[in-house]
Amino acid sequence: MMDVMGFFDIVLALALPWLGWRLLASSDLFRAVVLFISLGLLMSLTWVRLQAPDVALAEAAIGAGLTGALFLSALRRLERLSESERRLEHAGKREEDETIPPEKRRRAKPVAYVLSLFLLVVFVLLLGWSLGQTPGAKGGLGPAVAGQMGQSGVQSQVTAVLLNFRGYDTLLEMMVLFLAALGVWSLTRVRQTQQGEVPGPVLATLVRLLVPLMIIVAGYLVWIGSSRAGGAFQGGAVLAAAGVLLLLANVTVVRQVPAGLLRWALVLGPLLFLLTAVACMGGGGNLLEYPGQSAGVWILFIESATAVSIGVTLAALYAGGRPPAPSAPEKDNEEGPGSGVDKGGKA
Amino acid sequence: MPDTAFWAVCLVVVPLFFALICFVRSDQAAVLGLLAAGLNALAALAMTVFFVRSGPLRYAIGGWQAPLGINFSIDGLSVLLVAMTAVTGLSVSMYARGYFSLRIGSAGEINRHGHQRAFFWPVWLLLWGALNGLFLSADLFNVYVTLEIIGLSAVVLTALSGKPAARLAAMRYLLVSLLGSCSYLFGVALLYRSYGILDMAALARLISPAPLMWASLALLTTGLLLKTALFPLHFWLPPAHANALAPVSAILSGLVVKASFYLMLRLWGDIFAQVLPFAAYVLLGVLGCGAVLWGAVQALLQKRLKMLIAYSTVAQLGYLFIALPLIRLDPGSSAWEAVILLIMSHACAKSAMFMAAGSIFLKAGHDRIDDLAGIKEVLPISSFAFVLAGVSLMGFPPSGGFVGKWLLLGVSLAGGEWWWGVMLVIGSLLAAGYVYRVASRLLVFKVTFFSRRQSIPPVMEWSAVLLALLALLLGLLAGYPLGLLEAGSPFPLHACREVMP
Amino acid sequence: MNTLFLYTMSGLALFAIGLHGLIRSSHLLRKILAANLMSSGVFLIMIVGACGTDQVMIDPVPHAMVLTGIVVSVSTTAVALVLVCLVQETTNRALLWQKRKRGQGGRTDA
Repeated sequence: MMDVMGFFDIVLALALPWLGWRLLASSDLFRAVVLFISLGLLMSLTWVRLQAPDVALAEAAIGAGLTGALFLSALRRLERLSESERRLEHAGKREEDETIPPEKRRRAKPVAYVLSLFLLVVFVLLLGWSLGQTPGAKGGLGPAVAGQMGQSGVQSQVTAVLLNFRGYDTLLEMMVLFLAALGVWSLTRVRQTQQGEVPGPVLATLVRLLVPLMIIVAGYLVWIGSSRAGGAFQGGAVLAAAGVLLLLANVTVVRQVPAGLLRWALVLGPLLFLLTAVACMGGGGNLLEYPGQSAGVWILFIESATAVSIGVTLAALYAGGRPPAPSAPEKDNEEGPGSGVDKGGKA
Repeated sequence: MPDTAFWAVCLVVVPLFFALICFVRSDQAAVLGLLAAGLNALAALAMTVFFVRSGPLRYAIGGWQAPLGINFSIDGLSVLLVAMTAVTGLSVSMYARGYFSLRIGSAGEINRHGHQRAFFWPVWLLLWGALNGLFLSADLFNVYVTLEIIGLSAVVLTALSGKPAARLAAMRYLLVSLLGSCSYLFGVALLYRSYGILDMAALARLISPAPLMWASLALLTTGLLLKTALFPLHFWLPPAHANALAPVSAILSGLVVKASFYLMLRLWGDIFAQVLPFAAYVLLGVLGCGAVLWGAVQALLQKRLKMLIAYSTVAQLGYLFIALPLIRLDPGSSAWEAVILLIMSHACAKSAMFMAAGSIFLKAGHDRIDDLAGIKEVLPISSFAFVLAGVSLMGFPPSGGFVGKWLLLGVSLAGGEWWWGVMLVIGSLLAAGYVYRVASRLLVFKVTFFSRRQSIPPVMEWSAVLLALLALLLGLLAGYPLGLLEAGSPFPLHACREVMP
Repeated sequence: MNTLFLYTMSGLALFAIGLHGLIRSSHLLRKILAANLMSSGVFLIMIVGACGTDQVMIDPVPHAMVLTGIVVSVSTTAVALVLVCLVQETTNRALLWQKRKRGQGGRTDA
């Protein structure tokens, strides 16, 4: 049994860089994105092998699933843009832009190419050597975390680190997510191109079945996060997947969410987190110092609020712009279903 | 009971809170933003006052002491940089208020400018909060998160202008920022792997030469140099800073690049100082010389005012790196004082310059230097602000720039490494060249200057001139901030370490 | 221990491949993919470091840091992808270095 797992480890460790290489070398962008998503799934397998189930869940949902969906929808939009461009110019002379220059350049400047490859190989070997040379610090902060688990209010060590010991990091991280939504909204607006598009019966049924299930799963993940793998990010990511499904299915309810409510939903998590952090100072404690034995309750409260915001924010990132004035976001219909179902399956 | 730590927490929490509120109530964004700026400045002032009274301090967030939790470390350097951010930020905020209402008022496109205003405030407040968080934090990974907020919000602000050139510049900025933070994170990961600790002060005691330490130092430094735009990694800076909206340019050039340089100071001046050979500092100093020369020459060649100012930032950042080997040479602390004075006076002067340039741009409708002759007839105060800021950049007495360079010159002569001094003088001469090139146009007498009819709100002109004046006076008042540095500084090296539990 | 070292090397290789792609590929989408690879490589190295040896228990701090890192990287990726679309929209190609001179040629904005 051990040998099988060891063999599996070797294959996995070799497959990761190989996939990465294939993905960047492929001339077809769609293929590259698909390879990227499969790389993400392999990564989450790797996390499982490395005994990091929390990270595995987050990687599968966010790293592979949502990021992949983002890439697919961006690719779709790029293609649509260049199509309309081509139609305007009556000629396909832009085609070469995407595929040929890299190859051309590689042929044109093999010296530079080989040189940069050589430098990178040297870099990897040097770093690998130094990593092998230096024994790591034994356990890092692990013992310190284990020693204080009693006061953390939760059983899961990762959740304790994320929301108690290093909760301030997570607070700022929520700000990063909020900032991303702000950035996307400031840059562009969702276009209402396929207003009248109706989802096929399969997708509609799927949505009706999956979305409630996903909401339950998200709630479960947040709840279980205090003792096992799971938590706000994983739960939020599942919520986001539900949101993406709704967007794909072009459900009218999603389009009719008032913009004000959407804004509040984006802000809810970070705001409540921030206010809780400050409220902790009320009793004479420090920032984010949960009073007395109540840490567990506060953490669950923060996690629920942030999970909602994470879900809404990630779905908004997928929608790819601020809602158009009259109604709420709706998005691409062709490329997405694959990724949406993909996520559904994982949830 | 409010104390230093309370105000430090306010400095992070208040801007973040208002950023969230600004987003929800985007119709009130400007009012809320100004309110936040005012509160922030007050908090910075209060923190400085309490700091002078009670000295340096560590604050355990969540009540968890250093190795396990994240701590604030409030010392002279962080207080000074937070104060610098507060002063510059407050005047940029006032300027931005005038700027956006002018543009909304004058242009027919209410939508576009209103949209810019609605997003400028929350993003800028997030950036401000992250800057404060960065200056106060003592935790390497926490610093990574704040760096990400700073980088991402700088990119979003750059792209806010909506011009194709700005979008391209923002794209490049984002990629550089991604590369920089990834490299930084890698460095942090390797440090954690070898020492199992993320707290800066604790790390400084553990550092010992080992292959992995060198690798992580190289990665950290590369990431930070990319973000600080040290020559020859500066290629992304001029287009980004020149194509952004005026208040954004002021923020980017005055404050954002200082954030990563501050970390360089912490790493090279404190944490890794015992193990680093002098040659490494010399290498950075040489790159700094390259930046001074290249930036100044490029600035001399530019046709557009904002590009000129942006290249001047490249050159001025060079001085900060020239100061690094001198810090190492200097037995006392005058090189430290010099570099902090240079950072502060550059923040004020460069922000003022970009603000003045923005007013000039709006009034003239363009920023071609050659066609700006005589603009002082219509915009006397802004032209004056530009020249005042220029005086500080050139390093003429009594500006903060002068005192900073004078101190550095003294250190380089005393240490027997006179060539650094020569570089400082050459840099100043070149700076005088490009400032003169603009000033000679701005101040020329010309009866008629064809300008747009719109009048620049006084708040835009005065905020620029006050900030420029502050940069100038910084030289005269240098004793006060530097005294603060003495009151509770990490320098001379490792003085603060005993505070650690 | 050997397997862990193999994973470390795998992470390093991912980082290097990503770095190479970020610098050398011309299409912006590929650059962003490459940046994501780089951060995956760093995450891998962090998590491997957390494993330690069999006697020592697992260190949860790198796990938390990687979770944070994943969220940060999806955030930046989202912004980057929207920017790519905008660049393509305005310049008709999703390339960083445009044919005309380096984006400095355009008008600056006030």
